[in-house]
Amino acid sequence: MRATIAPTNSTASAASNGAGSIPAFRSGGRLQLKSVTRFFNGSIEHGVQDITLTCEPGEFVVVVGPSGCGKSTLLNLAAGMLLPQSGNVTLDDNPIRGPGPDRAMVFQEHGLFPWLTAEQNVEFGLKMAGVTRDQRRRRVEAALRLVHLRGSEQKLIHELSGGMRQRVAIARAMVMDPALLLMDEPFAALDAQTRTLMHAQLQELWVQTRKTILFVTHSVGEAVRLADRIIVLHSQPGKIRREVQVDLPHPRNFDSADITQLVRLVRKEIEDEVNRVNRSMADTYWKPQTPSDLGDDPGLMGGGI
Amino acid sequence: MILALWEGAFRVTQTINSRLWRPWVFPAPSGVLDAMLGMLNIRTAFGDPLHKGWPLPVADPNTPPLPTAARHWYTSSLIRADLVSLARLIAGFAFSIVIGGAVGMFMLRWKELDQFLGPPLLGLQTLPSVCWVPLAILLLGFTEEAILFVMVMGSFAAIAIALRDGLRMIPPLYPRAGLMLGARGWKLYRYVLLPASLPALATSLRQGFSFGWRSLMGAELILVVKHHGLGFLLQTARDFSDVAQVVAVMVVMVIIGMVADRWVFAKIQARVQARFGLS
Repeated sequence: MRATIAPTNSTASAASNGAGSIPAFRSGGRLQLKSVTRFFNGSIEHGVQDITLTCEPGEFVVVVGPSGCGKSTLLNLAAGMLLPQSGNVTLDDNPIRGPGPDRAMVFQEHGLFPWLTAEQNVEFGLKMAGVTRDQRRRRVEAALRLVHLRGSEQKLIHELSGGMRQRVAIARAMVMDPALLLMDEPFAALDAQTRTLMHAQLQELWVQTRKTILFVTHSVGEAVRLADRIIVLHSQPGKIRREVQVDLPHPRNFDSADITQLVRLVRKEIEDEVNRVNRSMADTYWKPQTPSDLGDDPGLMGGGI
Repeated sequence: MILALWEGAFRVTQTINSRLWRPWVFPAPSGVLDAMLGMLNIRTAFGDPLHKGWPLPVADPNTPPLPTAARHWYTSSLIRADLVSLARLIAGFAFSIVIGGAVGMFMLRWKELDQFLGPPLLGLQTLPSVCWVPLAILLLGFTEEAILFVMVMGSFAAIAIALRDGLRMIPPLYPRAGLMLGARGWKLYRYVLLPASLPALATSLRQGFSFGWRSLMGAELILVVKHHGLGFLLQTARDFSDVAQVVAVMVVMVIIGMVADRWVFAKIQARVQARFGLS
């Protein structure tokens, strides 16, 4: 099932190509998953079945779905941390057989190395790749500038705030200049204000570098704010339940009717999915939950008024 | 404070009736100090009950000449014994780290080995390390190797288990992040797993040291070989019924153990933990 949300009034579309791109970073590649299946120990939990998905170069794709639906599995397949049991995964037509320098991952929280400073964390991948010291310094500086983190390079990870840590994590991924940026609920542990700030920064970074981004989240608000395309997963086994193309300009205004409509649509899909899964698992009568029972997204407080 | 009271009580009883407290049965702190300085070839008589008034560190001409054998052992024996014991400590500790480290890593790598070796290693912890001495004598005789054997057996299990437990606590996200950033094979171990295990390593070193030091002293006490360590000094003092020296050697053992633990290993641990933001 496919739906497209297009702007009803096409006023602001200049924002997406307003900022000048930084030439140090190449733009993104095309990620293709062709009828990919991967299960764990015969259980359908966290597994994905027959998923076909293409992320176009420079596209920002957000995957949402209830927990245990295989969102992270999908990400790990793209990363090469997991290999498919059937089907194939390619990046720019090269099959993915393991982790590689053309893909970088930003983890939830605590993915940074606490024994290194912020700068050394960013430098880590380049060091592993055997890049010379001069080159490293130049690229680390560019990556830190990209996430506005100059001045805190020498700090240890535990001395940084949650938002700064995730910026270091993004810089650590971007410094590798990957063709594909994978993000595994990177802002889940942040408070609402910081998260909003991080969304804006990520957006800016994406506009500047035009990376292909595959982003996994629980939050509908996050998905609607960031995505070119939202993939709602069907769980157990993980399949694509619905794709929503979002043709709204960036940065997105949360007061607009289009956004409200979109949020409602995606949220409805997830609610139906949660209810479907719970109904199938419950032995006794299951009362379908209303939206308020499922919890409101703090990022969207008052957004639909 | 306690030492002052103790010394005071000693002085008082000595002035009332010297039979009440016989320094050769239970020494006063001053007697222990004499013995300690004596081992450093400084003859003093702080603890001499015949010495009237406030004692001064004077060479006492009235001290009866020691038997030749005893004098031989006393000749700056403390420093030599310290050096011998420290040399053994370093050698034995190095062996323990290598063996314990390897065992700990392999136990983490292979679950079967862990299941096979884990319980016996934990069981060995309950065996006092001196109990390895008879086996060491039978296997290796009265040799340097036998002492090292006892020490290694006493401490490597502690290192292995502390290391394994510490490595298990490494968040799985670190190796995943490392792999994504291109750290594979030995690079993953060298640049991710090794630094990630530093807190565990520091703890295991500290544990291993305290186990090793105790085992070493026990082994030296019983195993008499060419070079004489602190444990031997303790045993000699007993052979000459020199209570003051027995206590003096014990005090030295405690001091060395504490200095190493507090000033070396605890410092290392604190620094690592500060780096990781754990403290």
